[in-house]
Amino acid sequence: MASRKVPIKAVLIDLSGTLHVENTAIPGAVDSLKKLRGTGIPIKFVTNTTKESRRCLFERLIGLGLELRKDEIWSSLWAAQDLLRSRNLKPMLMVDDAALEDFSGLTDYGEEEQNAVVIGLAPSMFNFSQLSKAFRLLLTGAGVPLIAIHCGRYYKRCDGLALGPGPFVRALEYASGCHSEVVGKPSPTFFRSALGDVDPAYAVMIGDDVKDDIGGAQAMGMRGFLVQTGKYRTGDESRISPGPAAVCPSFSEAVDILLKEYAQSEGDS
Amino acid sequence: MNLLKNPRLNGVLLDVTGVLKDGGTAIHGSVEAVRKLREAGLKIRLVTNETQVTRRALAENLLDLGYPVQELDIVSPCPALISFLQRENLRPHLLVHSNVLPEFEGIDQSNPNCVVLGDAAENFTYEHLNEAFGILINMKKPRLFSLGRGRYYSDKEGLMLDVGAFTAALEYAADVKAEIIGKPQPEFFRSTLKDMGVEPEEAVMVGDDVVSDVGGAQDCGLTGVLVRTGKYRPSDEKHPTVHPDAVVDDLAHAANLILESRK
Ligand SMILES: [Mg+2]
Ligand SMILES: [Mg+2]
Repeated sequence: MASRKVPIKAVLIDLSGTLHVENTAIPGAVDSLKKLRGTGIPIKFVTNTTKESRRCLFERLIGLGLELRKDEIWSSLWAAQDLLRSRNLKPMLMVDDAALEDFSGLTDYGEEEQNAVVIGLAPSMFNFSQLSKAFRLLLTGAGVPLIAIHCGRYYKRCDGLALGPGPFVRALEYASGCHSEVVGKPSPTFFRSALGDVDPAYAVMIGDDVKDDIGGAQAMGMRGFLVQTGKYRTGDESRISPGPAAVCPSFSEAVDILLKEYAQSEGDS
Repeated sequence: MNLLKNPRLNGVLLDVTGVLKDGGTAIHGSVEAVRKLREAGLKIRLVTNETQVTRRALAENLLDLGYPVQELDIVSPCPALISFLQRENLRPHLLVHSNVLPEFEGIDQSNPNCVVLGDAAENFTYEHLNEAFGILINMKKPRLFSLGRGRYYSDKEGLMLDVGAFTAALEYAADVKAEIIGKPQPEFFRSTLKDMGVEPEEAVMVGDDVVSDVGGAQDCGLTGVLVRTGKYRPSDEKHPTVHPDAVVDDLAHAANLILESRK
């Protein structure tokens, strides 16, 4: 791996498949995270989720022995509430009940006040009458945004595959003619909001999803380190062009590269 | 002013929902308009993507409203789909309105090898959509049929999502392209004209859906007239790709225009 002189100002780390798989930490991840912390480089934990609130994610990760602060978690749900607040929007929320706690203060707008539609995963609202209501809201005027937590086609449920948010976003787009804003990975908005004012050129994304993590991050100017854990499948690195800035057996090796680069940039200064 | 100068005009295709009726009532002036067109000797078909009721029920409903029509005047996607399913040996999984289930009596629905979506309205629940999706995703070559692909229609509660929205959802989820039966599918217009014995340039379609009615008809060489009733919205007149031959307030005005054009 060629060493670089560019200082690293932020590291974004995917959760599922990169730091843990279900309720088990990836071997070496806890210690490597501790070592990365030693550099003092700001870290954000980034994940696409439609039902886990920040608190819920936090508790899970702490339970795995990972060291982090709650405000370092940047999920697609969190990005959505951040966007709503920054634009002063009053949403019709189609999200899982468990996710509502991330939207405190944004949940009680009456139908006449609502001026945005947010699609997460809400099976109890994904029906003719509620979707038609969302559709009518989108038509009430220009500038009612359709905000998608992410556009996943489907997900695995204990009884088989089930429809994700994506199909319902497409349904509303088709009927209303408007385009959704996707707040989760791989949307550039997501990475930008997670980075705050850090220049993407100085940031690294570590993840196991070659398209959403690596492709998405690299498309907006970050470097992407692909880990060969979680959902990684042989040959994934050649599915995007340009390929990942680094391909690592696991999170630990990705951190080793960062530590080496960090030592070098410190040595130069 | 006459936008439709066409002495050969001989056949009239009328959309039903939003042109003849809205919710449960006749649109003002439309009954009289159909009568006038009939009396002028024009051939008329009611070309609808309506799949919430059978053709028979729709005919009865229109008769009740005072329209001089019968079941045979109505062209709807269900009969076209059913003969297609039979020809191709397809066994459908149906996600349609419970009112149209009688149309599918006698069609083998065991061990389905395709999915059929109609305007299922309240039947569009998450679980029903999941069920249809589960069938599609487990097929080697998924086949999805959509009865029309309307975006929305107007109902008592306001604008409601039409089948096209749910078709788009399943297309995306199962990565499949739906086969459309109904407007704006060209075959649907062509077979209707053939049955009427009318050439495309001798026919006019009147509808409230700028894409499905007007655009679909124009693509087949018919004249397309948009009415400002039903689901019409002012933005339809600035549609990026469809430019109606005429836009009029309602069917009464359209009928006058049509009768004028033949002089
Ligand atoms: Mg992952
Ligand atoms: Mg109509």
